[in-house]
Amino acid sequence: MPPIETRRSAIDAGQTAQHAADPALKLADLSLLPRWGIKGSGIWTWLDKQGAATPARDNIASTLPDGSTVARLSPGEALILSSFPRGEAMLAAAFDSLSAEGQDACYPVPRQDSHCWLVLEGHNASLALAKLCGVDLAADRFAIGSVAQTSVARLSAIVIRNERPKNISFSLLADSASAQYLWDCVIDAITEFSGAGCTIEALQPPSR
Amino acid sequence: MKRLDHEFRLPAASSQIVNRGKPLSFTFEGRSYEAFAGDTIASALAANGITTFSRSFKYHRPRGFVSLAGCEANTLVSVNRVPNVAAEWHVLAEGDDVRAQNYSGSLAFDWNASIGLFGRFLPVGFYYRAFFRPKGAWRFWEPFIRRMAGLGKVDLEVGHGYFDKAYLFADIAVIGGGAAGLSAAIAAAQTGNRVVLIDDHPVLGGALNYTHDNRAADMRRDLISRLVSLPNVRIFSGARCEGLYSDNWLAVVQGRRLHKLRAGRVVIATGAFEQPAVFRNNDLPGIIFGSAAQRLIKLYGVRPGTRAVVFTANDFGYGVALDLAEADVEVAAVIDARTSPPASTLRSAVAGKNIRIENSTVISEASGRKRVRAVRLAAIRPGGEIDKAGETIECDLVCMSAGFAPNLALAAQAGARLVYDARTAMHVADGLPENIEIAGAANCIFELENAMRDGAKAASTQKNGNGAGEASAITVPGACPIVPHRDGKEFVDFDEDLTINDIVDSVASGFDDIQLLKRYSTAGMGPSQGRHSSINTIRLAARARGLAEQEIGTTTARPPYSGISFGALAGRGFEPVRRTSMHRRHLEAGAKMMPAALWMRPAYYGSAAGAATAIAAEVAAVRGSAGLIDVSTLGKIEIRGPGAAEFLNRMYFTGHLKQQSGRARYAVMTDATGTITDDGVICRLADGHFFVTATTSGVEAVVRSMYFWNAQWRLDVDIANVTSAYAAINLAGPHSRAILAMLCDDVDLAPDAFPYMGVKCGHIADVPARILRVGFVGELGYEIHFASGCGEHVWDRLLEAGARYGIRPFGVEAQRVLRLEKGHIILGQDTDGLTNPLEIGMGTSGSSKPFFVGAAALNAFRERGIDRKLVGFVCDAGAELPQECHLVIDNGKIAGRVTSCARSSAAKSIIGLAYVRPHKAEPGQTFSIRAGSGRLVTATVAELPFYDPENERQRL
Repeated sequence: MPPIETRRSAIDAGQTAQHAADPALKLADLSLLPRWGIKGSGIWTWLDKQGAATPARDNIASTLPDGSTVARLSPGEALILSSFPRGEAMLAAAFDSLSAEGQDACYPVPRQDSHCWLVLEGHNASLALAKLCGVDLAADRFAIGSVAQTSVARLSAIVIRNERPKNISFSLLADSASAQYLWDCVIDAITEFSGAGCTIEALQPPSR
Repeated sequence: MKRLDHEFRLPAASSQIVNRGKPLSFTFEGRSYEAFAGDTIASALAANGITTFSRSFKYHRPRGFVSLAGCEANTLVSVNRVPNVAAEWHVLAEGDDVRAQNYSGSLAFDWNASIGLFGRFLPVGFYYRAFFRPKGAWRFWEPFIRRMAGLGKVDLEVGHGYFDKAYLFADIAVIGGGAAGLSAAIAAAQTGNRVVLIDDHPVLGGALNYTHDNRAADMRRDLISRLVSLPNVRIFSGARCEGLYSDNWLAVVQGRRLHKLRAGRVVIATGAFEQPAVFRNNDLPGIIFGSAAQRLIKLYGVRPGTRAVVFTANDFGYGVALDLAEADVEVAAVIDARTSPPASTLRSAVAGKNIRIENSTVISEASGRKRVRAVRLAAIRPGGEIDKAGETIECDLVCMSAGFAPNLALAAQAGARLVYDARTAMHVADGLPENIEIAGAANCIFELENAMRDGAKAASTQKNGNGAGEASAITVPGACPIVPHRDGKEFVDFDEDLTINDIVDSVASGFDDIQLLKRYSTAGMGPSQGRHSSINTIRLAARARGLAEQEIGTTTARPPYSGISFGALAGRGFEPVRRTSMHRRHLEAGAKMMPAALWMRPAYYGSAAGAATAIAAEVAAVRGSAGLIDVSTLGKIEIRGPGAAEFLNRMYFTGHLKQQSGRARYAVMTDATGTITDDGVICRLADGHFFVTATTSGVEAVVRSMYFWNAQWRLDVDIANVTSAYAAINLAGPHSRAILAMLCDDVDLAPDAFPYMGVKCGHIADVPARILRVGFVGELGYEIHFASGCGEHVWDRLLEAGARYGIRPFGVEAQRVLRLEKGHIILGQDTDGLTNPLEIGMGTSGSSKPFFVGAAALNAFRERGIDRKLVGFVCDAGAELPQECHLVIDNGKIAGRVTSCARSSAAKSIIGLAYVRPHKAEPGQTFSIRAGSGRLVTATVAELPFYDPENERQRL
């Protein structure tokens, strides 16, 4: 991976400068935190070797002991998100050593750069996302660990219900080239609920 | 006489909605009036004694509200320059500017009102028959008719409003917030369902808010308190369900938001519409439904008149009479069309107040100019015939309780068939789809307790039927007689100004099928969509044809239920935009951005006024020193696995089985018809690892095609679209190697070590990169692919390193010139949806590959020959510059078209690419191009490339 100092989020810094202190609904840009993708028929064996508990079926995410998340997107594809706000992942070193060419039917996919990562957190998060997404994301229908591969504001997106038992929290991952567009759409949607942009540190920390 | 503000306002305690503590003012037709918070336009105007809201569609007769339920054209007004706002629904805000519609001159004195005098000569459908002869007559009449037609005026100067959409989800959606709807919602929620309740009124309760039943207020209070205590119910008041589509997908409009509601089950508890009595001048302001009078009194605390006549055909009219008396309205008489109405407590109560009751009697005529002033009565003979008009009763209010029509529009939209029930003179729904129920008055159940039970039952069971069979529940029998008059003007449809004769004449003209009758007469085609005209139209058609009403059928109900604004339909526009990771840098450098598919790309750097100069300077920089262009929008695909080489060899026209690792090849993709679908560069990074570029707009289709074919071939490959993951910069120009060397110390850039079409992996400014030595612009150059998050970092470092060489960024326009000088095509510009490789000079000698997608078609093309060929051409530098798509002319006939053209300083002439007939494709042959001025420009076919024909510069 390139050094972090060479990276910059595609979402304008001007937005973050206007972040409210403690909005009722928080939107944070996590695009600079590590994440990985992996494809192929051998990925579950590889993940098992790394000691990562993997979800039993598609469109489910499981949280690893360090707070990172493994989301099963299909029988042959997984997405790994580092913990937030700290950006840690027990699989980081294993991914760094994984050949770009792939090995044992296990192919890395550069999700760090293909997808931006936003987190929306707050009591009315489901209602706000209902303005952008046709999937029922209500808390009692879209349980913690649920994954939806859908469209958000007409943009192909992955929506994951984060493990934040005391709050409703979603990760939104979509085309990094449309990161600013997505950010603007979500900000527009959450304004009605007194929502605003915030820093990563303002998000609720994990309970464990 | 000066009117007093709130002249008709009742004491404060009588109104449920308005807040007397919050006065506000608004204007109607430019004059200021007072209202209270919570007042609608209609209630405030009524409180101020205003009964004329608009003029009618055809005859421009004065019209006021009839239903007070927002169901007729008569109450559509313009509010703050927004036309066709229902006066009964719009809750007033301070300063609202309300204007009446559909008049010429003034609302009080409409010039077009004189049309009514000629009504006899303007029968239904007259303009279908009158204005199409002689030939051309329609063109003369159309402007007049257009001016007369339509409702309201669109204000083109009004600014954009903010509208949006939202999704809603429910286990059970209940449409209607009356007794049945509230009960259904409670029952559904109590069993754990997630419930959404949609009610189009500003307050919940439906008829409980105004019906004459002492229990109603307590029932309403109890139901609402139980409902709001349930956490799994979402209530949408002032929201209207406009459509019920397949799989219980409902369109609900609330304010400026369109909700897209998906429900497991739907309970339709939409109530019933009162129906007008049909008699002469029944449209005069002051003639309203009984329920409208009750709404006005109980919801808004407004007295609807001073002296009333109630015309009824059921017991509800007696409740209206009692409510009027309670509101200090003198009730001159209750006119009951029934011969011997059964005894009831309501009748007894009316009689007990010494209110005159006349049985077997109808109103045959109303009189008055701008408001009803009197009615004339006529007796019904034992055989049902109506006597001549007799007694006149003076009044300023007539309340009609002539019957009901269940609101079954949504049920019909869902596919139910509406069947006329002669016993009740109402329609019932038959054949409802699964998971849709009807309850309450919509189910012909009017008694409050029965309606509540029906609602609860609909929510908790799969009864999937209607209550028409439950005879004990039906309390509203019979239909009110239709009373024709020799002088006409007995209106059946207020929206369209249709009278009895209009319906009868339509049938007599042969338009006797209900669907034809609707279209010919336009009955039911106005804003109310037949809610107050359909039943009477059917009854008249049945009478005219000598059939029973149930044999007439009904017209088709389609969404939307009422009018939806274009704003609500459009909602908030979601149009994704893609930016490269260097987008900010381009803006900072003054780039003029242009769209390329969903991406934004720099066209050139500089002002629009200086575009030509800027483009020329950018071209000169690349040719003379160095330039860099952001090519991140290129599609990028990883193909990995043991079968990768075989897969690409099958997918592309070009060969890749023997491609060496570390080498790149230009590749062309064709589809099964042999048509070129994409091109790009295929890089072999390792034995089982290829990195493929594709066109900006074509990559999605390329990847789809790859998935499609490999689903059949089942080769062991992984296909990954990594377009957004990689930024890409093309560094080009004679100094590009020197610039790159300053930032890259782990790749040997020497020409021998890294030759043209070579591929290397290394680091640039500490960022891992894939470096392709390719030459799209015809100079020494490197296409550098790296993590997109590092776009700005790498861009900045390259500019810093190249500063000493005068490096400058160049945009798409300069690149177009540069590549044209090299004769390189752009897919989609120099090819079209039919171009095959032979037409662009590829594969003419055949392919050694046994198979690739499109091989068979291409072999057929080889045997058949081609009809056109893409060639390079030059024109004199002083000639008019042809543009893309200008026609190639040969012997006066179209023989092809220009695909690219530009002035080239390198070639010192105009250069371009064009399709010509194959026999005109040899270098040195000439053809003509019809340029923009219409003049023919002579072009000469030229060898490609125009610049550096030996390709020495890109191989430096």
